[in-house]
Amino acid sequence: MLACLCTVLWHLPAVPALNRTGDPGPGPSIQKTYDLTRYLEHQLRSLAGTYLNYLGPPFNEPDFNPPRLGAETLPRATVNLEVWRSLNDKLRLTQNYEAYSHLLCYLRGLNRQAATAELRRSLAHFCTSLQGLLGSIAGVMAALGYPLPQPLPGTEPAWAPGPAHSDFLQKMDDFWLLKELQTWLWRSAKDFNRLKKKMQPPAASVTLHLEAHGF
Amino acid sequence: MSESRVAEFGFFTKDRTACFRLTAPHTAMGAYSWWKEPSWMVDSKRRRMTPNWPWLLSALTLLQVNAVQAHSLKRGSAQDLKCTTKNMQVWDCTWTAPVGVSPGTVKEVCIKDRLNSCHRLESTNIKIAALSPGDHEVAINYLNGFQSKFTLNENDVSLIPDTPESLDLSADFSTSTLHLRWNDRGSAFPYPCNATWEIKVLQNPSMELVKLVSFNTTLSGRDIVHHWNWTSDLPLQCATHSVGIRWYIDYNRFSGYKVWSDWSPLKNVSWTPNSETNVFPQDKVILAGSDITFCCVSQTKVLSGQIGKTFCPLIHLYGENVAIHIRNISVSENSGTNVVFTTEDNVYGTVVFAGYPPDIPQKLNCETHDFKEIICSWNPGRPTGLVGPRNTDYTLSESISGKSVPFKRFETLTNESYRLAFQMLPGQEIHNFTLTGRNPLGHAESAVFINITERVAPHVPVSLRVKDISSTVVTLSWHLPGNFAKINLLCQVEICKASSEREVRNATIKGAEESSYLVAVDKLNPYTLYTFRVRCSTETFWKWSKWSNEKRHLTTEAIPSRGPDTWREWSSDGKNLIIYWKPLPINEANGKILSYNVSCSSNEETQSLSEILDPQHRAEIQLEKSDYIISVVAKNSAGSSPPSKIASMEIPNDDIIVEQAVGMGKRIFLSWHPDPNMTCDYVIKWCNSSRSEPCLMDWIKVPSNSTKTVIESDQFQPGVRYNFYLYGCTNQGYQLLRSIIGYIEELAPIVAPNFTVEDTSADSILVKWEDIPVEELRGFLRGYLFYFQKGERDTPKTRTFETGHSDIKLKNITDISQKTLRIADLQGKTSYHLVLRAYTHGGLGPEKSMFVVTKENSVGLIIAILIPVAVAVIVGVVTSILCYRKREWIKETFYPDIPNPENCKALQFQKSICEGSSALKTLEMNPCTPNNVEVLESRSIVPKIEDTEIISPVAERPGESSEADPENHVVVSYCPPIIEEEIANPAADEVGGTSQVVYIDVQSMYQPQAKPEEEQGIDPGVVAAYKPQMRLPINSAVEDFAAAEDEADKTAGYRPQANVNTWNLVSPDSPRSTDSNSEIVSFGSPCSINSRQFLIPPKDEDSPKSNGGGWSFTNFFQNKPND
Repeated sequence: MLACLCTVLWHLPAVPALNRTGDPGPGPSIQKTYDLTRYLEHQLRSLAGTYLNYLGPPFNEPDFNPPRLGAETLPRATVNLEVWRSLNDKLRLTQNYEAYSHLLCYLRGLNRQAATAELRRSLAHFCTSLQGLLGSIAGVMAALGYPLPQPLPGTEPAWAPGPAHSDFLQKMDDFWLLKELQTWLWRSAKDFNRLKKKMQPPAASVTLHLEAHGF
Repeated sequence: MSESRVAEFGFFTKDRTACFRLTAPHTAMGAYSWWKEPSWMVDSKRRRMTPNWPWLLSALTLLQVNAVQAHSLKRGSAQDLKCTTKNMQVWDCTWTAPVGVSPGTVKEVCIKDRLNSCHRLESTNIKIAALSPGDHEVAINYLNGFQSKFTLNENDVSLIPDTPESLDLSADFSTSTLHLRWNDRGSAFPYPCNATWEIKVLQNPSMELVKLVSFNTTLSGRDIVHHWNWTSDLPLQCATHSVGIRWYIDYNRFSGYKVWSDWSPLKNVSWTPNSETNVFPQDKVILAGSDITFCCVSQTKVLSGQIGKTFCPLIHLYGENVAIHIRNISVSENSGTNVVFTTEDNVYGTVVFAGYPPDIPQKLNCETHDFKEIICSWNPGRPTGLVGPRNTDYTLSESISGKSVPFKRFETLTNESYRLAFQMLPGQEIHNFTLTGRNPLGHAESAVFINITERVAPHVPVSLRVKDISSTVVTLSWHLPGNFAKINLLCQVEICKASSEREVRNATIKGAEESSYLVAVDKLNPYTLYTFRVRCSTETFWKWSKWSNEKRHLTTEAIPSRGPDTWREWSSDGKNLIIYWKPLPINEANGKILSYNVSCSSNEETQSLSEILDPQHRAEIQLEKSDYIISVVAKNSAGSSPPSKIASMEIPNDDIIVEQAVGMGKRIFLSWHPDPNMTCDYVIKWCNSSRSEPCLMDWIKVPSNSTKTVIESDQFQPGVRYNFYLYGCTNQGYQLLRSIIGYIEELAPIVAPNFTVEDTSADSILVKWEDIPVEELRGFLRGYLFYFQKGERDTPKTRTFETGHSDIKLKNITDISQKTLRIADLQGKTSYHLVLRAYTHGGLGPEKSMFVVTKENSVGLIIAILIPVAVAVIVGVVTSILCYRKREWIKETFYPDIPNPENCKALQFQKSICEGSSALKTLEMNPCTPNNVEVLESRSIVPKIEDTEIISPVAERPGESSEADPENHVVVSYCPPIIEEEIANPAADEVGGTSQVVYIDVQSMYQPQAKPEEEQGIDPGVVAAYKPQMRLPINSAVEDFAAAEDEADKTAGYRPQANVNTWNLVSPDSPRSTDSNSEIVSFGSPCSINSRQFLIPPKDEDSPKSNGGGWSFTNFFQNKPND
C-alpha cells in the first residue's frame, strides 16, 4: 500500500502536464489526487507524532485538546455539512487550493523553527509532499477549466513571531497547524472522492460525516 | 509615635509568616541580614542584642526616651518640653501648659544662655536655633504670671529627618524587577554624615511585606539620587507591588536621639493584563536546579497547574490568580518545558528553558594546515540543555590583531564539529586566541597562546608521482597545498616492497608556496615492485599529515648480479654431459631472465650451445670424457650475468664409505670435517636412491669455510631413502668426499619379510627369509622379530600374538645380516604358528605368519598304543576269572530259576478258586521258597502299617477293583512289589493315550517311607498319575488343600519320587551324590521288570528340578551329564 502511494507521489509532477495535454480527462488526475491525500494523511500521522513529542507534554498527551485560540489565520477545515454539500466543484477545489497554499507556508515556517535536524528533515519531506498535492489540485482545476485563485495580498504569512508572540502560543499554533492539516487532508479525501464519483458514471450517493477528528 | 512602632512591629511579624509561606527562605533571611547593619540604636549596649528583636527594642527605646524627656523637663514646674529637629539646625520644641493655664496665655519663652533672649509667642511650641551643647535653662512665662522652667540639653533633642520622597518607581515585567529612585537631599544636612535607608516592598492587596532591606549611604552636602533594584520571585504581573522608604541620620556631632523618619507614601506597580498572555514569566531561561514561581492571571477559576507532565499544588494569590512553585527544575527538552494552567474553558501556558551556562571550552586547539587560515577546535564540555536561539554562541577573538570570528549554530552539534576558521594575517605568527561561549545563562572562555609556525598540520600530499632515475634510484614528487615558504618541511617516504617489508625514510625539504616537492629515493632493488606513500610535517614537529595515496612502481631492470648456480652430471652411458642450473632468485636476477647461454671450453676449443630460453634449466652436450670448463650465463633485458663455471670431470676419490643419516621434519643435518684443500665451496647433491642414474634431485652450494649444513626441501618425503653426496671444490674441479644414505624420517616397513621353512624335524624348524626391498623398508632395517607358539590354523588363539602371553616365544634378531633361524626344543607332531616381522626406527612392519607341523616321534606313538591295549587285556582276563568263580552267585542273584507252576501243588489245590486269575496263580505258590517275606494288608480306607521298616505299596487299579477285590486280602509276596501304573504321557495326556509300564520300586526296598503325612493331602482326582510312594487320600487335610493343589499342578505327570527335593539331593551333579555316607541315597529311577534295566525317568523339559533327577548306570557311559 505504502509503496503504491509512494509511486503515486513519484509521478506527481507529471500530473499537470498530463492534464495540459487534455487526453485522459480529469478522472485519473482526481484519482491520483485522492490517493495523494490518503498518503499524506499517513505521512502526517508519523510527522505529528514526532513533532508533538518535540513540543513536549502536554501537547503529546492524547487527551490534550485546547480551545482554538490564536491560530486564527489558519484556514479552518471544519464546515457545516449542508454548506459543504452545497459547494460546487470550482468552489470546492478553490477552497482546497487556498487552504493548502496557506498551510504550506505555515509549515515551512515551522520547519525553520525546528531545533533538531531530524525534525527539519521530516518537515521538509512533508512540505515536498504537500507541494505535490498543491500541484495536483492545480492540475485538476486546470483540467476542469477552472482558473487558479489569485494569491491575495499578504497571504504569504511571515512566520516570524513578534515579541508578543510567546513560545507557548507558538507551540499552540504549531499544534493547531498540525491538527488543521489533518482535518484538511481528511476533508480533501472526501472532496476528491465526491469529485471522482461525479466524473464517473452515476453511482450510489455517499453519506458523509464531516467533523474534526483529534489526533 | 510609639503606637506607630508597635503597629509596624505587628505588621512585620505578619509579613514574616507570609514570606515563609509564599517564597523561598532566603528572601526573608536577606531582609534580616540587611537589618543588622544600620546603627540606629541610641544605646550602644543594645546593638549587641540579637537581631531577632530589633523592632521590639526600637519600641522600648522610644518609650524610654519619652520617659526621660518627661523626667528632665519636669524639673522646672513639672511640665513636658519635647524638642525635635529635622536638620540639627532648628529645634522644634513643644510643651504642655500647666494645669489650669490655657495654652493661649503664653507670654514669652526665655532661654538663659543666650543672653536671656526671650521669644514672645502665644502657643505651646517654638522653633529655636540649635543650642550649643550643655544645659540651657528655659523659662516659659504665662500671662497670668505663672512660669515654668526647664533645663534643655542637646542630648534630649530627637533628630527625625523629613520623610524621604521617592522620585520614581518603575518595573521591568519581563525580568520581574523593580527600580526605585529617590533623592537624599543631602544639601540640607551637615556633611559628612551617615544616612541609613530602609525600603519595604509590599504585595497587594493583602499588603504582605515581601521585602525589607536597609543600607547606608553618606550624605556629602549635595543632593544625590539613589537607585535600588529588586527582582521579585513572584512575577510582578501577578500581583500589585508597593514600595515605601524611610531613613535616619547618624551625625556624630549631634548628641541627641536619632530617630527613623516616617515611611514615604507607598508607590505601586501593577500590570495591565492583555488578552494573550496570562502566565508568567514568559519564555524564561533559568539555571537548571534552581527554584522558580509561575503565576497565572485569570478571571475564572484555575483548575490545575502543571509543568511538563507533573501537576503542582496551586498557590492562590488573590482573586483567581494562582501560582505554582517549582523547586530544583530539571534541564529542559529541546523545545523547552511547558508550564500549563487549565481553567474550565481555556488553557494558558508558558515555556521555560532550564539549562546551564556554557562550560569552559575544553581542549581548545588551534593549528593551520596551509598557513592561510587557522582552524581552532574545541570541546564544548557539559551540554547546556539549551538549543535553538538559546544555544551557546561562541566567539573566537585574537587579541593581537583584534579580529574576532563568531560561531553560531542553530542546533546542538557533535563534539567534533566545534571548529572555527580564522583567516591568517600575513606576517603574524604569534596569536593569542580567546574563545568565549555565551548563552542566556552566562558565559565562559578559554584562551590559547600559540606561535602558528609550531602548529602546522599539513594537508594530505596529493599528486604523488614516481620517476625512474636508474634501476635503483627513483624520484618522488607530490603537491602540498599551502604556503610553507618560511619553514622547512619534514616529510616521510614509506617504501614498501611487495614482500611486505616496510621502510620509512625522512626527508627535510625547504618549504614553498603552493608548490610540488621532489625527493630522490635511492638504494632500491632493480626490477622490484615498490609501493610509495608520503606524509609531511614541519621541522618543528606538531602533527603529521595523513598519508598520501599509495603509488606502486616497478623499478627498471639491471644485469643479473651473478651467474646461475650450476651442476653437471654425466649421462648413464657416459657420452653426454648434462648441465643443470638453477633459476636466479629475483633479487639476483634483477629483471626477467630471458635466456641462458651455455658454452664449454677446453684447452683446444670452445663450444657454445644455442641460446636456451628461460623456463629450461638444463642442457645436454655430447663431450669426450676430457676436461672441459662449462660456463653458463643468464641474460635479461639489461644484459648478461657474469658466467658461472664448472669443470666437467670429477677428481676421483677411492676412499669413500657410505654413511647413514636420519633427518627431522623436512630437513636433514649434515656435517663434515674441514678440508683445507677445498678452496672454492662444497656442493651437496641428493637424489632418490631408487631412481636410475644420472640421479639428481637438487644440489646446494655451501661456502668453503662451512663444515655443516642443513638440507631442506619440500620434495623430501618420509620413508624414502635419499642418497646425499658431498663434493669439495678445488681448483681442478669437484671431488666426492662423502656418500650418505639417509631418510628424512624413518617409517615402519610396509611389507613383511618373505620367509620359508627350510627344514622340519620332530623338535626343530629351520626358517629362512629374504631381504625386504629398499622402497618397502622405508627406513634403516634394525632387526627382525620372530614369534612362535603352538597353534593350528584357524584357531582364534593363534591369530594374534599378544606380548606377555606365556605360550608365545619371541626371538629378536638384531643381526640384520642373519637370514636363517633354527627353532629348537619343539614338540613332535605339533602345529606351530610362526610369525616374522621386520622393524626400523619407524616401527614394526606387518607380520608374515606360517603354520608348521613338526614331524612325528614314532617311539612315543608305539608306547602310547601298546599300554592301553595291554591294560585292556589284563582287565578282561581278571573279569573273566572272577565271573567264572562267582558264577553261582551271579546266577542266583540275577537269573534265579523260575519254578514251573504246573508242578506246584498249592496251585492245584486252589485251582478252582484261582482260575481265571493268572496273577493270583503266580503270586500264590505255596511251596515257593520265599526270598523275601512281606506281609501286606490291603485296606480300602487307611492301610495300616504293620511294619514301618518294610513297606510295600499297593497298586490300585480302579478298573480291576471290581473284578478282584483285594480288600482284606493278605498277600505274602515272594518278589519285589510290582507296581503297575498308567503313565500319563504329558504330551499325549489330553488325547488320552496311555501306555502301560510295570515298575519295580527299588527304592522301597531300601528306604523307609518318608513323609507319609505330607503325601496324604494329595487329591487323587488331581494327581491322576502313578504315585508309588503315596497313600490313597482317605482323609483329605483341608488345611493343606491349597498347598496340595499347587503341588498337584507341579507334579502333573509322572513322578516316580513325589518329593522332588530328594531327586535334587541325589543328582549326580550334586556334590552329595559322591558322598558315600549319605543316608538318603536314592536310586531314583525305577527299573522295569520286563527289561530288567533301570529306567530313566522321562525328561521333563518344563521342570528343570527333575532334570537328571535319577542316577542311573547310563550315567557311567556319558561324559556329559546333560547331553
